[in-house]
Amino acid sequence: MSFATDSPVHSSSSDDFAALIDAELEVGSSGSSPDEQDNEEEEVDADSDDDDSDDEEDDSNDDLNDHRNKRCKTEKLDDLEGPQGSTSQGLIEEKLVSLNKDTCTHPGSFGQMCILCGQRVDDESGVTFGYIHKGLRLGNDEIVRLRSTDMKNLLRHKKLYLVLDLDHTLLNSTQLNHLTAEEEYLKGQSDSMQDVSKGSLFMLEFMHMMTKLRPFVRTFLKEASEMFEMYIYTMGDRPYALEMAKLLDPKKEYFNGRVISRDDGTQKHQKGLDVVLGQDSAVVILDDTENAWTKHKDNLILMERYHFFASSCRQFGFDCRSLSQLKSDESEPDGALASILKILRQIHHIFFDELDSDLASRDVRQVLKTVRKEVLKDCKIVFSRVFPTKFQPENHLLWKMAEQLGATCSTETDSSVTHVVSMDAGTEKSRWAVKENKFLVHPRWIEAANFFWLKQPEEKFPVSQTKNQ
Amino acid sequence: MFFHIVLERNMQLHPRHFGRNLRENLVSKLMKDVEGTCSGRHGFVVAITGIENVGKGLIRDGTGFVTFPVKYQCVVFRPFKGEILEAAVTMVNKMGFFAETGPVQIFVSNHLIPDDMEFQSGDMPNYTTSDGSVKIQKDSEVRLKIIGTRVDATEIV
Repeated sequence: MSFATDSPVHSSSSDDFAALIDAELEVGSSGSSPDEQDNEEEEVDADSDDDDSDDEEDDSNDDLNDHRNKRCKTEKLDDLEGPQGSTSQGLIEEKLVSLNKDTCTHPGSFGQMCILCGQRVDDESGVTFGYIHKGLRLGNDEIVRLRSTDMKNLLRHKKLYLVLDLDHTLLNSTQLNHLTAEEEYLKGQSDSMQDVSKGSLFMLEFMHMMTKLRPFVRTFLKEASEMFEMYIYTMGDRPYALEMAKLLDPKKEYFNGRVISRDDGTQKHQKGLDVVLGQDSAVVILDDTENAWTKHKDNLILMERYHFFASSCRQFGFDCRSLSQLKSDESEPDGALASILKILRQIHHIFFDELDSDLASRDVRQVLKTVRKEVLKDCKIVFSRVFPTKFQPENHLLWKMAEQLGATCSTETDSSVTHVVSMDAGTEKSRWAVKENKFLVHPRWIEAANFFWLKQPEEKFPVSQTKNQ
Repeated sequence: MFFHIVLERNMQLHPRHFGRNLRENLVSKLMKDVEGTCSGRHGFVVAITGIENVGKGLIRDGTGFVTFPVKYQCVVFRPFKGEILEAAVTMVNKMGFFAETGPVQIFVSNHLIPDDMEFQSGDMPNYTTSDGSVKIQKDSEVRLKIIGTRVDATEIV
């Protein structure tokens, strides 16, 4: 009996052949400049050895540099003595310049190779852009450069950037095994996967999921795409993100590979604009979760959450019945997406048509602040039984929200007050409001104004009397 | 570049395949194992064109498996630095464009695209010359020069 090895044995003839081809081609192209036009590398090739490792190549280049410097000095000395030194001097300078061009800045890498010179780059700096293509990584300088050139391009086309969240913003997904008995009817109502552009409820068996698109989403995407370059940024994983992109954008006209998932973010549990190739001053974010964007709160438009499935309500601790259980849905023309689209149009209009400063210095965050301040301007608000006692009222979320929306807040009632926000109609301030004919509203009135960017009718937010008085 | 070369591989065969169809089984197992794989040395094995010879089988000690050294001819594809190739564009964006030739994924950065070609965004992003005569967009064919290659266990980039 004899033993035989497992590894495939390569026949010697093909070995030599491959090595021969390798040798021929490596010598011909080692140290060649990235630009096809420049071809002045004869010096470098003749001096460098035919080796594969980058380190050795760099060393030989450095040596050459020194060598050239020395040669330059000696030439200069010669120049003082004889006239024929000048022409060779000119040649040396040209070679020095060309050598400087060789030191590549490695703006980025694809599969660990520099995108400019092809050399192996094991650098870990910069940001990976795996969502564009696997293996793509760009250095920080390159990202800055791309951001500014793209900015000029977009401003010419009068577009800003829009980053969209998926879950609870544009759609609602649930796992099939989380469906309640009341929701079983949905299984029979799901739309066909063949022509996705018409449907809104989809059954994704292979992912064990069901997804419902928010009403008005298709019109929203179509209209927004004319004003914004859009990105999807979700905390789901990449396969989920790509599937949802297919449902929202079957013709691939809105996102063109700009689908960012949690696998692409640089920080865990946080979303950031560092993976978005657009200037921070021109990005608007639409998301239902404020905490995901701690560094970019000024760019964020908070969306009212879309709870279609019961599992979604339960996830957030709501005890009420979901839209699917009630067999109803958000109103299409009056829903969140429709109102936000109006706001986006307004922001776009102000940015491009009303600001007079230079285009590059305009900031969409300023525009957001200004538009927000219009919502509740001319309102003076006093709060009653909303904040816990001994709590600093100015630090409360609702106080700050009201101020962002343009209202003035105060702790004392006086004749200039327009609204009293209260949880209980029996308090002193509440009764004062009714007596003085001021508006008495539930705190939800402020939250609704925040979500819809519009002052809501006060009658819709009455305050009830609590019984234990 | 494509090459037609002879390679050798040791194939292990389970005794259940012994019999009249031993050679066919060996050849089909070889095809399944080797076609579509790639190595740094030879590149991507595109197809096996023929079997040159099958050596004597050696029984492995302790198991019933038998190892046959097989010499086979095959077509391989390997890109080289400096080579000029044609490729089909798969995606165009502001950083450059991605193209592929068979199993090889290629990226051309906008630094290396001629300066007179500008990026145009839109629902069909492309690079166009100032006079509009040449347009690079998805599914167009381009001729390019390779400046660097790298082989992964399963792919060539």
